[in-house]
Amino acid sequence: MAKWGMVIDLDKCTGCQACTTACSMENNTLPGESWQDVLFYHEGEYPSAQMKWLPRPCMQCENPSCVHVCPTRATYKDPDAGGIVFVDWNKCIGCKYCMIACPYGVRFYADEKPLIEPDIREAYPSDNGQLWSPPYQNPEEDWQRGIGIQPPGVVSKCTFCYHKVKHAPEGVVDLDEDNPEVKEYVPACVRTCAPKARYFGDLDNPESQVNLLIGDRHGVRLKDHTGNRPQVYYLGAGASVPAFTPADREHDA
Amino acid sequence: MNISMKDMQTRTQANVLQGPLGWGLLVAAGVVLLASLAFALIQLMTSGHTSFNTSSTLPWGQPIATYLYFALASSGLGLIASLPLVFGFKQYYPVAKRCIFLAFIVLISGMAVLALELGNVFRMLWAIPLNLQVQSAMFWMGVFYALDLLFLLWKFSKLQGGEWDSKTAKQVGIASFIGVLLASGNLALIFGMMSMRPFWFDALLPIYFYFTGVTSGVAALVFFTYLAHGFQRERMPPALQALLTGALPKLFAALIGGTLLFIAVRAITGLYSNNPEINLVWTGYLFASPLYNASLLLGLVLPFVVMLSASLRNRAGVQVLVACLVFLGLFAERFYFVVGGQVVPLFHGTWQPGLISYTPSATEWSLTFVGISLCFVLYLLGEKFLNLGDMPRHMAEAPAGAQANTA
Repeated sequence: MAKWGMVIDLDKCTGCQACTTACSMENNTLPGESWQDVLFYHEGEYPSAQMKWLPRPCMQCENPSCVHVCPTRATYKDPDAGGIVFVDWNKCIGCKYCMIACPYGVRFYADEKPLIEPDIREAYPSDNGQLWSPPYQNPEEDWQRGIGIQPPGVVSKCTFCYHKVKHAPEGVVDLDEDNPEVKEYVPACVRTCAPKARYFGDLDNPESQVNLLIGDRHGVRLKDHTGNRPQVYYLGAGASVPAFTPADREHDA
Repeated sequence: MNISMKDMQTRTQANVLQGPLGWGLLVAAGVVLLASLAFALIQLMTSGHTSFNTSSTLPWGQPIATYLYFALASSGLGLIASLPLVFGFKQYYPVAKRCIFLAFIVLISGMAVLALELGNVFRMLWAIPLNLQVQSAMFWMGVFYALDLLFLLWKFSKLQGGEWDSKTAKQVGIASFIGVLLASGNLALIFGMMSMRPFWFDALLPIYFYFTGVTSGVAALVFFTYLAHGFQRERMPPALQALLTGALPKLFAALIGGTLLFIAVRAITGLYSNNPEINLVWTGYLFASPLYNASLLLGLVLPFVVMLSASLRNRAGVQVLVACLVFLGLFAERFYFVVGGQVVPLFHGTWQPGLISYTPSATEWSLTFVGISLCFVLYLLGEKFLNLGDMPRHMAEAPAGAQANTA
């Protein structure tokens, strides 16, 4: 079985948020429940300040701290699904400990105050145990893997679009949107990336495009000191996250 | 046989809560419990967790802090009860039974609050035992606190049967002591093992939790003991009076001082650290909050200063006031501890330019009141029907002077 990994080239990424939009449409996520979003930072002071951005999906860690802390094994890493980390919505008790333990802040408890008003959950109330039921819904649903629209009281997260990836023919090394044979199986954020800043493939195959890029261009993983060993790698300048500084303190510095 | 059974029976120690005052307070606490529970349940059923002010960036709010407060106060009470029952500090016998009962009901109240905070509480009953995720500290929290409850109940039943010093009572007492240490130490590790939350990440957090837990436990014990006697020490049995003018206030003073010391070393290392996830929590959140500073000064520093004076710390009114202040001060410590670990955004540059703000919602406050009022209801029932002021016969019957000398 492949070990699915993603490479994000920050030298190519334009911060256009097409990935964010594609993800939310593919997975029917609520406003604010961004399984994939682009975070913007600025570093330095005028006139030498730099604008930076960082696209951020779930890192599908090799050694995921969210899995270790979950008291019910609702969140688990599935080696038979390419090492993707899932949340079983039938087992999740909503203790939110995995959200505390995730160093990347990529888990969501969607049953919370709405980011925008009116609350879209009230505009499209649930009719089948889901948190809400929008008029268009991805027909793919697998609550054991946290795919579909979640019920209330559980944690949700990016699944690397496993409902697409799982249909890829056995033995495929690269899921490249330029390859007509496999483009339907490519995760939504990768397929929609206009500047082709994202690559998706098998980290266990040394010939895969993702491995070649990581090797040739010194791919890095975020917050490696936590030991989570993400299966998402970043390339290019700015492949790091600056230390947090509150906005009002930057002027004091 | 008849004689030995008679010896085993507990004798009623009259106190004011067994009379009309007890009924009055019980009705009042029951009304608050029903009102807060009804409000919380209506909110949870109609709005769900949207009625909380927590978010995916700050998932644990006041209900978790409330649970933490209650769970640790319970452990503290359990540890105080082990002073006479495990370690032979005999002057603490007059409060042992009340301590164990309080430890039990405080924990039940905390668990009730936690249950109302979870997304799927009933699922927990099968999902935790069936999946045996032994790597999770939260799994062990369930195991250890369940054992803790069991041993507390068992120990209480021994005392209720008049067994203060039997071999089984000792063994249950030791088991309970170990259970308390495991439960509260493990609860500390739920936070302390989170290296991605540097404000919490601390190998010595179990020690901090034991210490502060005992401080909140003593505060609860002092308050409820005085409440049982109408806040008048002269109504208490001589052995209890001796304890409240002897060993207990000294212990209370030392515990408050130790708690302050723990907070001070955490603050000093936190302020010295360059890590914004520790440093900024102290400078930008804790010490920037007038409420935190007030709770620290009025809830811990002032009580410590007052309790340093031997004449002041032996006054009944001062002890009750200090107990109330410490209750509020440590509740604030728990709140700021839980929230403080989360206020620095993990990854939210643009969307979160400042520290994450959080103020508990009405529903979250109602859960806190559910915990407090449930505790009062159960305690008043206990005073009424379970003779919580009981102590070994030789101690109850000793003259006042003799008690003072042993204290």
